[in-house]
Amino acid sequence: MPVLWAASLRHLMRHPAQLALALLGLSVGVATLVAVDIATASAARAFELSLRAVNGAATHEILGGPVGIDEQLYVDLRLRNPELGFAPIVAGYASIGGQTMQLVGIDPLASPQFEAPASGSGGPMGRLDLSRSAQWFTQAGTIMMAAATAQELDVGENRPFELDIGGRRATATLIGTIADDQAGYDALILTDIAQAQGWLRLRGRLSRIDVRLPAGAAAGPAESRLRAQLPPDVQLEPAQGRTRESIDMTSAFTTNLRAMSLLALMVSLLIIYGTISFAVVQRRRVVGILRALGATPGDVLEIVLAEAAVLGAVGAGVGLLLGASIAHALVGLVSQTINDLYFVVSVRQTVLPASSVVIALLAGFLTALVGALVPAFEAAAGAPQLGLRRSVLESRAVAVARRLALASVLLGLGSAIVAASSGRSLLAGFGALFMLLLSVAALTPAVLRAAAIGAAKACARVSPVGRLAFSEVAGSLSRTGVAVAALGMAIAAMIGVSIMVGSFRESLRAWLERTIRADVYVTAPGAGGPERRIEPELVGILLRTPGVADYSISRHTQVELAGEQVELDALQSAAHSRPGLVFVDGDPRSAWSAFASGSILVSEPLAWRLRLRAGQQLTIPTGSGARSFRIAGIYREYGNDRGNVMMSLGEFRQLWHDESVTGLGIYLRPDTSSAQVMMRLRAQARGRQALLISSNARLRELSMEIFERTFVITRVLYWLAGGVAAVGLLSALLAWELERSREVGLLRALGLTPAGAALLVEAQAGFMGLMALVVAIPAGFLTALMLILVINRRAFGWQIDLHVSSAQLSNALLLSVAAALAAGVYPAWRGARATIADEIREE
Amino acid sequence: MLTIRKLSRRFREGEQVHRVLDQADAQFRDGEVAAVIGRSGSGKSTLLNLISGIDRADSGSVQFHDIEISALAEPGRTLFRRKHIGFVYQFFNLIPTLDVEENVRLALELNGVRGAEARARSVEVLKEVGLGDRVHSAVDRLSGGEQQRVAIARALVHRPALLLADEPTGNLDEETSRQVLPALLSLARSRGATLLIVTHDTLLARMVDRVWELRDGRLQEISCQSSGQQASAT
Repeated sequence: MPVLWAASLRHLMRHPAQLALALLGLSVGVATLVAVDIATASAARAFELSLRAVNGAATHEILGGPVGIDEQLYVDLRLRNPELGFAPIVAGYASIGGQTMQLVGIDPLASPQFEAPASGSGGPMGRLDLSRSAQWFTQAGTIMMAAATAQELDVGENRPFELDIGGRRATATLIGTIADDQAGYDALILTDIAQAQGWLRLRGRLSRIDVRLPAGAAAGPAESRLRAQLPPDVQLEPAQGRTRESIDMTSAFTTNLRAMSLLALMVSLLIIYGTISFAVVQRRRVVGILRALGATPGDVLEIVLAEAAVLGAVGAGVGLLLGASIAHALVGLVSQTINDLYFVVSVRQTVLPASSVVIALLAGFLTALVGALVPAFEAAAGAPQLGLRRSVLESRAVAVARRLALASVLLGLGSAIVAASSGRSLLAGFGALFMLLLSVAALTPAVLRAAAIGAAKACARVSPVGRLAFSEVAGSLSRTGVAVAALGMAIAAMIGVSIMVGSFRESLRAWLERTIRADVYVTAPGAGGPERRIEPELVGILLRTPGVADYSISRHTQVELAGEQVELDALQSAAHSRPGLVFVDGDPRSAWSAFASGSILVSEPLAWRLRLRAGQQLTIPTGSGARSFRIAGIYREYGNDRGNVMMSLGEFRQLWHDESVTGLGIYLRPDTSSAQVMMRLRAQARGRQALLISSNARLRELSMEIFERTFVITRVLYWLAGGVAAVGLLSALLAWELERSREVGLLRALGLTPAGAALLVEAQAGFMGLMALVVAIPAGFLTALMLILVINRRAFGWQIDLHVSSAQLSNALLLSVAAALAAGVYPAWRGARATIADEIREE
Repeated sequence: MLTIRKLSRRFREGEQVHRVLDQADAQFRDGEVAAVIGRSGSGKSTLLNLISGIDRADSGSVQFHDIEISALAEPGRTLFRRKHIGFVYQFFNLIPTLDVEENVRLALELNGVRGAEARARSVEVLKEVGLGDRVHSAVDRLSGGEQQRVAIARALVHRPALLLADEPTGNLDEETSRQVLPALLSLARSRGATLLIVTHDTLLARMVDRVWELRDGRLQEISCQSSGQQASAT
């Protein structure tokens, strides 16, 4: 190995603690990014596989509305198009022991020709032996599911167990399992199509018909011919469309997660900058010798960047492994949120997509190289003088801090301009947010220096050691500035997210108070839309229950708008419930009368996404073909980010020919209590259907629980970013302590006690943590505004009212002070036990 | 021939300007061993920095053979230094993470000599300075005198035409100085290199061909006899 490289490598190996901390900081940053990538990719992959598990080779799908497709259409199409492949599907949701799964009814005679090549010969049905196949056709309630799922749910073969389908109990028997090598079945219950129709109350109806068109030139004419044979209330769509649409639904959520993970990487960047800066500063004499011996600036640049590249490569490798492990934990949180907000998915296995490997390598390399660029150029461009004095270095740091303060103002202004001028671009919104956070980082060294000088002056008369402690913080800005900037940035992000989540929570709470106005709510349980229905005969019985004064009736389903599934709420509202909606566009007084006469109301997220205004027309595919509706008003809604359309129940029933009821909102007589009426309602439903009967308070509570669950992953990510920043601070303090060990030794020789030396270091660490907090608090408020007004608005379309409380700052306070004090413990211990003679011995 | 013409260098410290070199002139013959004496802060080290191209003069020129060092841009000065100059410092300036042989080999590798040849030449020079048995020792395990001999080996290994020594005995005791100095001088002479030594050492001043004094920013040649007295006075 060339001697120049050997010198560089040995220097790194001589400071293992610094090297390890830099690697840890970088690895955790890379790992966070990779973990989010793996977790979201795994969830998307699992969902994709579950859609492709049944009839994966289908090229198209024939879809109907909430009432499905008449099964006669399937028969007709098969007869008229014998050269094409058709397979009927009835799909809905069922739960086993509280776990929601997709219930899919298939025709085992039609489905095998749709098996995707990857799924193995014969598909799930191919795994059944002949005797079991007979059971499938002859025995009621037979099902199949993945072997691992059956084991997890404790469902044994040929042992009857209970299924809950929209609150109705059904007895099922597992007659065969699907081997674990057949991916995509984790959240599926397969049954015969006739059985599924019975369980889901879809007699004579199909959810969809999978179609396999010929490949090549024949596909176009076949598609046109088939389209011409379809009635107006059904559509022919490409098969991939459904998968893409479903995964697209989660894009805003996953973009937010990626942004949070990028934050951790940005903090890592500052750590690498700090580490390489230290390495360069520690070797300024060696660099001087090399330059005096004839090493060119290019040689020096090469060495420093090569060190960073090695650090980046190792950090990327470790980050990839660490990320894969974190992903196992994260995938649960991601799939939980996706289950709560979007669709049912079970992620049993994480996948390591090629993108994660590329992301890890790029993130590791680029972070390390970008972080090392400035110190590398500084080292290379410096005059080849051996005695670069510390004072010169620090005066440079002060000059840089001044320039950075100016850069901070420019970054702040740039952030505001980008946020204000970038329209609806979420990417530009995140760009503005990151500029804001960088602006915080850039301002920190100047603030730290000013505060430390002030503190030193204030301490001058009280404690000379205190004065010394703060003067050193100000006088070592080249070391302290970067560490505090990294911590400040992480804390600002933490405060911003806390305020945003807190504001969202309060806005949601207020919204729930306004909209959940009925005393008692009765709904058919389960996931999904159309199949959730209260048994028709039970509706009347419930509404006649003593104590009921008034009620609203709703039917909940989905319609496809602009390529996405949108929630449709058909409502016959009680007089009391109308004021519950807050209109953000349209006249509330006239909106309700227009609503009653056929106009629709549109939720804010949908209006934002489709750029809708009150008074415009919106075309919706109905059970009687596409119809245009006038939008009477836009209302505030936090229920989901895809958006809702609300129409009168009468209008819905007329167009969809669907008399089902999904939920009831019950208003009580003044002389009755909700507990009393709920008891009566439960008694009425007993033996007929297991309904969810909740008081308004409980329903609000449940909504808040889901809300809290969806933000768990955000908190995990910001704690990770905070952890990386704490590692950075520890690394900086260690390096600083190493460099001034002689100085501490001298102070000890002059009479400073070991406790005094430890206190000196801890006071400095604590002060640095406090300063990070001081900078982060105003920056955190600005970050929160950016998150609320720009990011959330652009990602989800909803407006959140700002709510600030001291509790939102508690995590930030805890992190900054605890991280700083903890980071100071080891350097303080080292300072206290320094051997004076060793430290002050001359060279 | 090393020629210094009207060389000036000022340093600013706050409002004050220090004129360290002021129109200094001197000529050093090829293969000559010369000493430059002067008080602390008189600009001796600055002179070496300007000759080696580490620093740039405000005005004047430094010419070595047909190369005008002061006219070269930074990369040119670095390459000139790498090829033609060997440096010996008061505090040795060895790289602590490299062993004895590696420190010496570094100068060769920077000049493009690699592998077995570089190793062989490094060991050969180390034997010449009496460190043949310490080739793979860590440099911080060596005594001051040994460290300075490593520095001398490093300065000579690539056979530079010009050797610059900045207080080479300033960090050594008298007895060690008596061992190191003759080694430096004889090696320089045997290679025909021009050796320019900045020193306070009276012993050394008596062993060189010519002595120059740097005073008030100017170089003045003085006799060997008086140089010994002056050096001891500084």
